[in-house]
Amino acid sequence: MNGWLVAATVLLAVGFGPVVWGVATGPLERRVVAQNFGTSVVCLVLLLLSQGYARPSYVDLALVLAVLGPAGTLVYARLLAEDLDDDPPHAHALTVVAASAAVVVVVAMCLATGAGRATVKLVLIGALLVAGNVIASRALSGGFPKGAAASRD
Amino acid sequence: MTDALTLLSLLLVAASATAAVVVRDPSRQALVLAVLGLALAVLFTVLQAPDVGLSQLAVGSALTPLLILLSVRKVRRRGQPEDGER
Repeated sequence: MNGWLVAATVLLAVGFGPVVWGVATGPLERRVVAQNFGTSVVCLVLLLLSQGYARPSYVDLALVLAVLGPAGTLVYARLLAEDLDDDPPHAHALTVVAASAAVVVVVAMCLATGAGRATVKLVLIGALLVAGNVIASRALSGGFPKGAAASRD
Repeated sequence: MTDALTLLSLLLVAASATAAVVVRDPSRQALVLAVLGLALAVLFTVLQAPDVGLSQLAVGSALTPLLILLSVRKVRRRGQPEDGER
């Protein structure tokens, strides 16, 4: 009914539709990148939905996803390392897009909610999203030294 | 507008669930399953059941792929020496 729900619908259609397509087809590298991008998109959609339904408690979903999404991507980066090794996926553009979209959404929601504990929570979610995106993207592209992973194998 | 949101999330769940069935390789299936979990979490939130969505997120985004990938890894490692012997 309101602008937040419209924004959530548009973000879901524009962001998550291609993610489903990208994760269902193509080489393994593209699938991992699509899944990582999907967690960021869904986290932002959940934030917009909580604002659209005027239920601040729905923000917890986005908080959980902001913590667990990068953790899931790290699971893939660790356990699929042998398959990803020959052609590590690089998704700098997607990382920048996801991080800037997170900043835009979080700032808009902070302006809408006003100062208070909710704002602190929103800023925390935004920081987790941006940091998680950067860390997951680096881990996927093999940015971290391979000595640690290789010595354990 | 709310109907459009519900319809869109239902369509995304249907599409990702179909993809999870069609994809045959287990390690790729784990990726599709993670996306299916995300779509289900959005659907539950749209249907005003955030508690269900919360547990779906907690299980689907990290735990299910971890279990599947660990099983795939174990099966592969167990299968390799046998292939060498044969």
